[in-house]
Amino acid sequence: MIVIETISIYKPKSLSDALEFLDKHAPDVKPIAGGTELLLLIRDKKIKPPKYLLDLNPLKKTLSYVKVEGGVVKIGALTSIYDLSQTILHSDKRYAGFVDVWEKFGTMALRFEATIGGNLNAATQYSDYITLLLAFDANVKLESVKGVRELKLSEYIVDKRKTALNPNELLVEVSFKEPPAESSSSFIKFDRREILIAGIVTEATYLHLEDDVIKDVRIAFDMVSGKRIPARAVKTEEFLRGKRFSSEVVEEAAEKILPSEMTRVTDWWATAEYRLEMSKVSLKRGLKLAYERIRGE
Amino acid sequence: MVKVSLTVNGVKYDLDVPPTERLLDTLRNRLGISSVKEGCGRGECGSCIVLVNGNPVHSCLTLTSRLDGAEVTTLEGLAPQGKLHAIQVAFIEARGVQCGFCTPGFIMITKALLDRVKEPSEKEIRRWLSSVLCRCGSYPLYFEAVKRAAKYIKEGKIYFDEKEVREKYHLKVLAR
Repeated sequence: MIVIETISIYKPKSLSDALEFLDKHAPDVKPIAGGTELLLLIRDKKIKPPKYLLDLNPLKKTLSYVKVEGGVVKIGALTSIYDLSQTILHSDKRYAGFVDVWEKFGTMALRFEATIGGNLNAATQYSDYITLLLAFDANVKLESVKGVRELKLSEYIVDKRKTALNPNELLVEVSFKEPPAESSSSFIKFDRREILIAGIVTEATYLHLEDDVIKDVRIAFDMVSGKRIPARAVKTEEFLRGKRFSSEVVEEAAEKILPSEMTRVTDWWATAEYRLEMSKVSLKRGLKLAYERIRGE
Repeated sequence: MVKVSLTVNGVKYDLDVPPTERLLDTLRNRLGISSVKEGCGRGECGSCIVLVNGNPVHSCLTLTSRLDGAEVTTLEGLAPQGKLHAIQVAFIEARGVQCGFCTPGFIMITKALLDRVKEPSEKEIRRWLSSVLCRCGSYPLYFEAVKRAAKYIKEGKIYFDEKEVREKYHLKVLAR
């Protein structure tokens, strides 16, 4: 039996009530959504147990949604991974990357508990939705009693387990511009098994074509600069932009440009060299998959 | 302590629990529901899966104090007294049970699957059943069991008489 007697739990009546509680008790309070990560961190003594847990379940009605408004796709932070799969993100080919992430996201039961906001706030290289949403150039919306501020997701994720979130703020929404019709996305997660994996290499692609010319492209990996957080491969994107899509161009991007900006690390799972090699392969596969999806093949 | 009112298998309980008590401990230690098993305690093995408001969740990652007003279903609540649910019968008939530790988790995730998809494909069955780890490796037999259960439910055979099933398959009632 695991009982940590010193923690109390607070159930807010509304979003503003939750924000007031946060403001009053920060930094001794931790918001809890799915709880699949936070409870383990406390139990493994990776973080100091907070004085209060702020139960976000009562806000589920307000902050669980996916909607497209004025050319912007908005996802509520408390949307569970299962609920995501019941929306337009899983039926429209432009968002096919979301289906790819879902296919290899933990177990089925976890998908009912885990939320997209929790996945972003975990802020590790294994947070697949960070990698994917970087490719969609997403923004996050943070709310506190003082008001609302928006940040680029790339600025929000500062370092491993470190975000730009102030202790009195709550992540309420993640959004990105609705992609054009001639675009699609893909997500590659490479590991020894098909499911229940962290991913030796993960890669997300967003591709926008105009008559086979790459109008826009964004590529994100679970690690680019050696920092243990997902980031975009900016030089590779720059190289690809404006070129005609062909296997030669993709080959050159993967073999010449990508290694020049990527630093990988060796750990228990794989060596840096192997990771770099698989990153090249993933880039090629990801681009090809997104291309095929646009062409409807 | 937090006051929580909880419906477990159709029975309403008013509990006073520490804020960080896990649903797993509440079910096993307070309510004596022993089908819920603790394997890893961190949401990886799935032996502790129960249904909360119809959704499968790991009871080891769920805090009871957050479940005020929720409806919890465990293996014990699948069928009324003296009956067995079609999924239970299908699992017996497929002979998938080896050590049996993970079986309650498998049956609950199967229930969640069949509540949502009437005729699941092989891929869907595999995806959903991947939620539970079976170290005996009974997966192929479990896949058969899910298909059999789906067939029973489609035919309208949801509950079976427990006594008949026990006699048919020579299942003894173990003394507690």
